[in-house]
Amino acid sequence: MRTELSMQDKDLDDLFAAARDVPVVSDGVMARVLADAQLHQPRAMVVPAQGPTQGPSQSQSQSQSQSQTLWRRILAAIGGGPALAGLSAAALAGVWIGFAQPGQVSDLLLVGNTTTETLDVFPAFDDFVIEG
Amino acid sequence: MPFDDATDTPDDALMVLYASGDPGAARVLAARHVPRVMGFAARMLGGDRAEAEDVAQEAMLRLWRVAPDWRPGEARVSTWLYRVVANLCTDRLRGRVRRRAVTLDDAPDVADGAPGVVAGMVARDRKAALYATLDLLPDRQRQAVVLRHLEGLTNPEIALVMDIGVEAVESLTARGKRALAAALAGRQEDLGYEDGT
Repeated sequence: MRTELSMQDKDLDDLFAAARDVPVVSDGVMARVLADAQLHQPRAMVVPAQGPTQGPSQSQSQSQSQSQTLWRRILAAIGGGPALAGLSAAALAGVWIGFAQPGQVSDLLLVGNTTTETLDVFPAFDDFVIEG
Repeated sequence: MPFDDATDTPDDALMVLYASGDPGAARVLAARHVPRVMGFAARMLGGDRAEAEDVAQEAMLRLWRVAPDWRPGEARVSTWLYRVVANLCTDRLRGRVRRRAVTLDDAPDVADGAPGVVAGMVARDRKAALYATLDLLPDRQRQAVVLRHLEGLTNPEIALVMDIGVEAVESLTARGKRALAAALAGRQEDLGYEDGT
């Protein structure tokens, strides 16, 4: 019993201390981890700086990526792909309603068969003529 | 290839930088966390370095994937990684053929047959002895003991990692430590310790 207590109190702590080292990570493992990181990293919003020598193909790809970045920003500004889809559907529906003018739309405008009251805030010119 | 983590940039900021495309953020995060993650995995897996490397890579992969949705201030990267590693190790340990059948929490304080296994160990160094004895503990006890006494986490931090209360952590670490002491009783001389006085 005395031996167990001693192991628990002091020697066990020494044993923990002996095993508390941080392992050295091999270059291979770190390379694999960083390769995963690169593979799954979201695309940068800013085009990285190019080297001092730029060929025509590099500048072409740069302008291409810049235009892609612009479209990305526009898309992000309106709320991404789903928002763009909704916007497109609404626009198409508006065009269709405008051209086809389905009867249901007219019915909707006259729903309830209510009489329309008007208020003439500017009397017609004829009234002035009659009164001389 | 040197991997330094000299920068003082907080983990949360590095996660945001990584998610926004910064090429250097991943390198700093990896240098800061991979050694610790690998060490924890090795201790949980009985010192199996190759398997610990796989677990560390998988845990970091999950960190890269979650980066775009990471919310600064909600969780610490280190705690999040410990939890992922703990779950990965638990899955791997379940896949192994266990030497004995125990439930996670209903295990006895001292595992049956543990002294015999310890006495039969060939490895004489303390680290190997500790790993071998840790391997005798039920998963949750081992996890709590490793996080507390080898990784140096506080009890509230362990509670977050293991998703349990602080009292449960205290109970698990106490039982685990008692089980270790009992399993190692009689091995003091082999491990270079004087007989207790």
